[in-house]
Amino acid sequence: MTHTAPTTVEGLSEPGAGDLAARAQQITKVYGSGDARVVALDEVTLGIPRGRFTAIMGPSGSGKSTLMHCMAGLDSVDSGRVFIGDVELNRLNDKRLTRLRRDRVGFIFQAFNLVPTLTALENITLPMDIAGRKPDRQWLERVIDTVGLRSRLGHRPSQLSGGQQQRVACARALASRPEIIFADEPTGNLDSRSGAEVLGFLRESVREMGQTIVMVTHDPGAAAYADEVIFLSDGRIVDTMPDPTAEKVLERMKGFELPGAAAR
Amino acid sequence: MMLKVTLRNLAAHKLRLVLTAVSVILGVAFVAGTLIFTDTMNRQFDEVFGGIGKNVAVYVRAKPVVEGGEELGEAARPVPARLLERLRRIEGVKDPVGNVAGYAAVVGKDGKAVGGNGPPQLGVNWVDGGDYELAAGRAPRGPDEVVIDADTADKAGLRIGDRVQVVINGPPQRPRLVGLVDTGHLMGATLVAWDTPTAQRLLLKPGQFSDITMGSSGPSERELRDRVAAVLPAGYEALTGTQMREEFKSDVDQLMSFFRTFLLVFALISIFVGAFIIFNTFSMLVAQRTRELALLRAIGASRRQITRAVIGEAVAVGVVGGTLGLAAGAGLAVLLENVVGIDGAGGLVFTATPVIWAYAVGIGVTVVSAYFPARRAAKVPPVAAMRDEVALPQRSLRVRIGAGTVLTAGGATLMALGLTGVKIGGNVMTPVGVGALLVFLGVAMLAPVISGPVVTVLGAAYPRVFGAVGRMAQRNALRNPRRTAATAAALMIGLALVTTVNVLGSSTRASLSQAIDAQLGADYIVQPQGQGVIDATAIKAISAVPGVRQAMPIYDGNALINGKNSWFAAMDESALGSAVRMEVESGSTRLGSAGMMVDTRVAAANGWQVGSKVPVRFADGRSETLTIVGIYAVNEMVGPRVIAADVYLEHALKPSPFAVAVNTAATDAATLAALEQALKDYPTLQVQDQSGFKEAMSKEVDGLIGFLTALLTMSIIIAAVGVVNTLALSVIERTREIGLLRAVGTSRRQLRRMIRLESVVIALFGALLGIGIGVVFGWAIQRALSEEGLNVLSVPAGTLVVYLVVAAVIGVLAALWPAWRAGRMDVLKAIATE
Repeated sequence: MTHTAPTTVEGLSEPGAGDLAARAQQITKVYGSGDARVVALDEVTLGIPRGRFTAIMGPSGSGKSTLMHCMAGLDSVDSGRVFIGDVELNRLNDKRLTRLRRDRVGFIFQAFNLVPTLTALENITLPMDIAGRKPDRQWLERVIDTVGLRSRLGHRPSQLSGGQQQRVACARALASRPEIIFADEPTGNLDSRSGAEVLGFLRESVREMGQTIVMVTHDPGAAAYADEVIFLSDGRIVDTMPDPTAEKVLERMKGFELPGAAAR
Repeated sequence: MMLKVTLRNLAAHKLRLVLTAVSVILGVAFVAGTLIFTDTMNRQFDEVFGGIGKNVAVYVRAKPVVEGGEELGEAARPVPARLLERLRRIEGVKDPVGNVAGYAAVVGKDGKAVGGNGPPQLGVNWVDGGDYELAAGRAPRGPDEVVIDADTADKAGLRIGDRVQVVINGPPQRPRLVGLVDTGHLMGATLVAWDTPTAQRLLLKPGQFSDITMGSSGPSERELRDRVAAVLPAGYEALTGTQMREEFKSDVDQLMSFFRTFLLVFALISIFVGAFIIFNTFSMLVAQRTRELALLRAIGASRRQITRAVIGEAVAVGVVGGTLGLAAGAGLAVLLENVVGIDGAGGLVFTATPVIWAYAVGIGVTVVSAYFPARRAAKVPPVAAMRDEVALPQRSLRVRIGAGTVLTAGGATLMALGLTGVKIGGNVMTPVGVGALLVFLGVAMLAPVISGPVVTVLGAAYPRVFGAVGRMAQRNALRNPRRTAATAAALMIGLALVTTVNVLGSSTRASLSQAIDAQLGADYIVQPQGQGVIDATAIKAISAVPGVRQAMPIYDGNALINGKNSWFAAMDESALGSAVRMEVESGSTRLGSAGMMVDTRVAAANGWQVGSKVPVRFADGRSETLTIVGIYAVNEMVGPRVIAADVYLEHALKPSPFAVAVNTAATDAATLAALEQALKDYPTLQVQDQSGFKEAMSKEVDGLIGFLTALLTMSIIIAAVGVVNTLALSVIERTREIGLLRAVGTSRRQLRRMIRLESVVIALFGALLGIGIGVVFGWAIQRALSEEGLNVLSVPAGTLVVYLVVAAVIGVLAALWPAWRAGRMDVLKAIATE
């Protein structure tokens, strides 16, 4: 079993790797100190290829959410470098980091994705409204049609089902045409049918619109929608799997979950 | 166990506790400060004046005929000096002393009289071994020497040996200063003492005393008083020293108790506002802790225990608020002392009263305000612990509309009754005050219903101007109408009262201005500042100015008119029509030498007509029968009654013109300058033309408005704290939403702006409600007082716009800290918050 996936080779450390939407170089993140010291990320190096749907998998506490937060500029790393496109995040102050998130990154969280006081449409255009930009009308129409929410655009989140809410969140992430979308357990709170709808929609957007998506999940079924799965355990990348299926992923998970459990 | 939960809760949320306590602290501080301050003033009065007349066993004076005008020495007739000799021969009488008291003001090096803004400017005769002791120099001897109190000498910049300019009710004096008296501090009163014959001549009349006091060589006060009373001629009375001291003290006490009540009313308003804040804060705390409370219920806590836990928290907040409020109150008392201009040499006085009240008010108000939220907390169903989205059972707004309407209508009715003169508990202020309180409560209950449309309109421009941030701010303000309404209602109360004061002030100014235009005929008015009067020599000086056609003294006084103590004006027939203009309804203005005119209301009340004979008993004890010669429409310039100057002069001990109306050939700067030049020896006299007179009146009204507004500021500050509270708790409540907004690219600045805009819209809503109510209150009171001369309604639109702007600024300031906190919020933590 190869522990070094093609996307994590050292050769990628040179800047200007144009086919990567985001990358991390030997990033380390430590929480606490002394006895309570937990290494969440241990010198992780990783590249996210453009126009692909990448899933990051791992058991609870493997550091997958931390990895996503660090790569998305929501959290800072203790050492190493993080890039979105050619921009190194470590060097940005809060103001520029905020602007980068606003203009170049899309987010889909597990829950509470929408501002309750805004309608579905207002939520979709929120990042652009905040930026004071006019949305690309044509693109917006296409996104709305793709998520199939045209009839509910005037509704408040409280009037939408959980699946509809997540679809609105997806539409928001797509609407501003970000370079990369980070999705954190986007189907974690949904029933399987709604979950499949959302995942299918994410995959469509990669295939048809060329969007780059990174998704953190612990559900093998969800991971199977991705083009490639990266496995994380105890803060390290332990494996990658191109063209995953639910069965293959489940099998792989069983493989390293046992020693992880034994270590405890 | 529940106690532990309560205490843990408090400890875990110290900041929240402090925020809630702030509104309690401010209200309690106001109450405690007022009580400590007035206690301190009382003791200072006792210290300063308690020593006066300490050795007096019996006090002899003329029986007062009328009330009022004591400071001018006109209320009581003098006591002839020869009575002193007769009293000296009575067995048991020791060292009888004749006292002289009158008006005397010291002029400082800056040409202005010292004091005169309330405390008396006293002129007395020097009595060896009397109430005052010499601090420096020697006692005054002869017509050219005085001693003054050391404080006044200090303020005036005078030293022993200097010539002192003294203004009296007579020609100006320039005696030599030969000594300084140690009076302690007279709380701003000034003292000038001459030797007895000079004091009699200048302040009273030769051979007369204001009163006589004496000690006892053995017999008790009562016994001696009876002996003295036996020899007194009719019209004079003897009081024991104790009676005299009590009479004096009760005057002071009455003043102080009025002052205390006055301040406490404003303290009460602050507390009322604070109650809104506490209510709102506890409502929000309960809402935020729904899950926790449900969990407690699920594991077996009873409803009563939940209620008690919340009330327990309220008691703790009340104790903290009461304690800190008491401390802050002491600070406030020191501040008040400085504002009033009393040096607190004696230190603050602490009695049990402020302590008891601080805790009673602090705990009482908090518990009462937290009661309803506590009851609501108990209604949380245990199953809420398991649910994701929990909403407390809210009673429908329909109940509120009903209750709010009933309260508002009831309050308005009470106010209307009070304003039309219906008394409750012997006071028209009671129904007016309680009515206003009910209106505030009623409108506060209705506020959630009106907040929707009003906030929508107020924030309508937000999305257009501020984009997405503006839109969210507007919707956030609409999110919880009850919360927005309760926050705004706190601000509403303060602004409603400030607006009422301003509308009344502005109406007073407008009414006065109209009255001056219509009724003041004189080109110039000469008036003394402070308590002084105008001497005949000054009138002569005015008459001598070229271009002056008429200089008409206008007197006033009190007399028993038809048996009732009444204030009157007195002037020459010639002044009527030239100095003042009046609309004569019947009869004429021919006062002659025994005529009286009254306005229509006095005439109607007494059933008088032209030709009616009215018995009048003057301050000197003698009576006259005056004939009504004319009846005029209500007139602000002359007041309700005018009598012929001749009649007044015949009965006045010291004629005291309070104004001189001057008519001149021309009204220009040169004439004004000439008049001022003529009066340069009379530094207390002020010349004003019509516009100057108007201005001075306006200034007086402005001063009063400013004073009342300052007192109401406290309630507005408390309301601002309430806005801070609401926003801070809202920010905590919306942690996840804020995290999301930050994640999708909202900058800190935008986030801060969003909270600021929400704050401003809430503040403006409160201000609009308040100003609206204030205008209605002002209008109602003006209508009620239109007969009393407040006949013009004037709404100061400019000032009200300023208050709106001030409210917006308060909104911005109140949002500073919550917005800062929201901006600092850690994005990740915010997203992760359960």
